[in-house]
Amino acid sequence: MLAMAAVLLSVATILITWSVMGGFLKTLISSGRTLVGDVAIVWPNVGFAHYDDLIERLEADELIDSASPTIETFGLIRLPDDRVELISIKGIEASSYSDVTGFVDTMWWKPIDEPTPKDYEGDDIRLQPENISMFTDMEASGISMTRLNPSSGKVEAAGVLGIEVTGQNYRTKWGGYYPLAPNRAMPDGGVERIETFMPRDGEVELTILALDSSGHPIDPVRRVIPIANEFQSGLYEVDQGTIFVPLDIIQRMLRLDAAERVELVRDDQNPFEIVVDPETGEIGPKMKEVIGVVPARVTTVLVRGVDGAELEAVRSRIRAVYAEFADAHVGEVPSAFQMENQIKTWEDLNRTMISAVKKETGLVLFIFGIVSFTTVFLVLAIFWSMATEKTKDIGVLRALGASTPGIAWLWIRYGASIGIVGSVTGTAVGYWVVLNINSIHDWMGRTFGLVIWDPRQYYFVEIPSEVEPIKAAIVFVIGILTCVVGASIPAIHSARMDPVKALRFE
Amino acid sequence: MSMQTQTNKAESAVQTEPILSVRGVHKTYKLGRVKVPVLHGVDMDVHQGEWVTILGASGSGKSTLLHLLGGLDRPDKNPDKNADKNGGSQVSVQFEDRELTRLSKRALDRYRADDVGFVFQFYHLLPELSVLQNVTIGGMIKHGRFGYRSNRKEIVDRASGLLDRFGLSHRLKHRPAELSGGERQRVAIARALINEPSLLLADEPTGNLDVKTGASILDVIIELRRDAGLTLVMVTHDDRIAQQGDRVIRLVDGRVNEA
Ligand SMILES: Nc1ncnc2c1ncn2[C@@H]1O[C@H](COP(=O)(O)OP(=O)(O)OP(=O)(O)O)[C@@H](O)[C@H]1O
Ligand SMILES: [Mg+2]
Repeated sequence: MLAMAAVLLSVATILITWSVMGGFLKTLISSGRTLVGDVAIVWPNVGFAHYDDLIERLEADELIDSASPTIETFGLIRLPDDRVELISIKGIEASSYSDVTGFVDTMWWKPIDEPTPKDYEGDDIRLQPENISMFTDMEASGISMTRLNPSSGKVEAAGVLGIEVTGQNYRTKWGGYYPLAPNRAMPDGGVERIETFMPRDGEVELTILALDSSGHPIDPVRRVIPIANEFQSGLYEVDQGTIFVPLDIIQRMLRLDAAERVELVRDDQNPFEIVVDPETGEIGPKMKEVIGVVPARVTTVLVRGVDGAELEAVRSRIRAVYAEFADAHVGEVPSAFQMENQIKTWEDLNRTMISAVKKETGLVLFIFGIVSFTTVFLVLAIFWSMATEKTKDIGVLRALGASTPGIAWLWIRYGASIGIVGSVTGTAVGYWVVLNINSIHDWMGRTFGLVIWDPRQYYFVEIPSEVEPIKAAIVFVIGILTCVVGASIPAIHSARMDPVKALRFE
Repeated sequence: MSMQTQTNKAESAVQTEPILSVRGVHKTYKLGRVKVPVLHGVDMDVHQGEWVTILGASGSGKSTLLHLLGGLDRPDKNPDKNADKNGGSQVSVQFEDRELTRLSKRALDRYRADDVGFVFQFYHLLPELSVLQNVTIGGMIKHGRFGYRSNRKEIVDRASGLLDRFGLSHRLKHRPAELSGGERQRVAIARALINEPSLLLADEPTGNLDVKTGASILDVIIELRRDAGLTLVMVTHDDRIAQQGDRVIRLVDGRVNEA
């Protein structure tokens, strides 16, 4: 009985930990995938040109669903309360980016019909009927990355900010957000309250260092960007340090947009030639001559494969398409050879996170090892004491003619049956607990005030509650093996005992 | 009753070859460095159908000898030189045509299962099993698990027949703990007899019982022996009980002192 309870508990515990841990890691990885698509073609800093042609070629391929140009860079952001922070800036083309990634789904400020899982009271402001029209507008603004300027009545290009960037979105205990008005610290020690709700009237100021065509920084460029909406990807690092900005704005700020290629006019040509400035109308000496156009550039093209396409197949197809593309623009874009290792899958891009996750999994497995070992030991100890208790009975059985292997087999069968019953119930209990882990957790919170998984601290609102049948099967089999191994040592020991001594045993 | 015993004695002594024959058996226990010599050169014969009682002081080695006879233990391989003086140059425990000292472990297990029944002073019933199961387990061991299944009905019938005969038919489903000492010992005897052994070894079967109950147990044994022609070796330190047997063997200083 005791041994069975031990097996049951160990099996259930291991299954629960493994499933929850695994579910947690899986959620983390899939969140990491949300905003990167399947494969990215990356040429950092200076970017590469003719991307429209590349995208056209890519989208013509039957393995490729869609592709989108983006620019990834860093800059400084000034928030409404005047704090300045480092931020990762992604220049995107809203519609094609939405095709390639789950961008639309990450939009936070939008009307919802159902409360989020832990929001039992229905406190979410997005649920409230009087807010529906506002949030409907905000969602549309976020998706199109534009915002109506209330004072000028004009629609302006706008950015989408990570939900955790400003720190003004208070994270509720059910894992949602409630916007707070920021306070600006004043030089005299007072604070000024700013009635701002980012997607309604919030603005940020971005400062970026533009680069020249050889990749050297030129001057810092500043620009105020209205915020159309805020996004939540599920990865805290991303949500607290990223802003999406329309691609053309970033291209202009970084001087990656299309430009005239000019050359200084040499003295020995015609020194008296004059030009008229088309904007000011002023006449001056001709100092430079337009000799061509530098096409716009992006640092990254994100690609999404068709549903069910294998990641590596998509990647090698992209390599092939890029090779054709590079042939068509020799000297103007990086060669296929140079790009060979710059075509990265989402797994490559999240490598640090994934390897951290893998390390964590390793650690968890190591802990399981110890737990299993403890279980073996526990079963062994329990069986040992049972066998000792039964010494005399074993002596009697031997006197009746039972053989050594017969007795050992008896114990091992006993161990196996305990293992089977313990593992079956343990797996069942584990399954049940994992499937109901959130309601159990809530119940614990209500009854004992015990909240382990606080959505205010953890980024996932819900505890993952999925059991992989493979894992259940592994744990189940290990549970039985554990019992058999744990039982076999005492079994062999007691079976080999001298029957006369066993009979004399008190 | 006394008359019957006398008759049997006469028959057995004259008509049968020894079913069990012991020569030059030594047994020394080792407690770490200390040697505890228990038996030094035991010779004895038991005839078919005979009732031999072994009498001796406590600690004289009666149980040890009985275990050797039942193949639960083996005699020492290299007894000291005294063996020669006693005329028994070879160590031998012979049962019918089998030399127990040379049997394999397996064969000894078989011997215990098929030919020998053990009865102990403290009953040694298995507490988790019912009365009936305590008896049938012997059959289970003899036939193995699969063999038991095919012989199940026969074994159960025989077990309940024996228990019925010992007046326990209404207690088949009870646990040993619910029985009195005399009842338990009757269950133990039924267990010893389930495989129809030819040799019954009893180690002070009445030692733990009051005189009256002890006498009733003895009656059961005597009756059985008469009906089934069992050969019986019974250890006791009670002189009066010993005298009821056909022959008394006295163990003194680890040797047989036949009276
Ligand atoms: N395993 C053992 N190790 C050491 N000494 C033992 C062992 N078994 C028995 N002895 C010793 O051997 C001697 C004989 O023991 P045995 O049990 O055969 O005596 P017995 O005649 O049956 O005594 P009793 O009438 O009390 O049952 C005793 O002195 C006992 O201490
Ligand atoms: Mg004894």
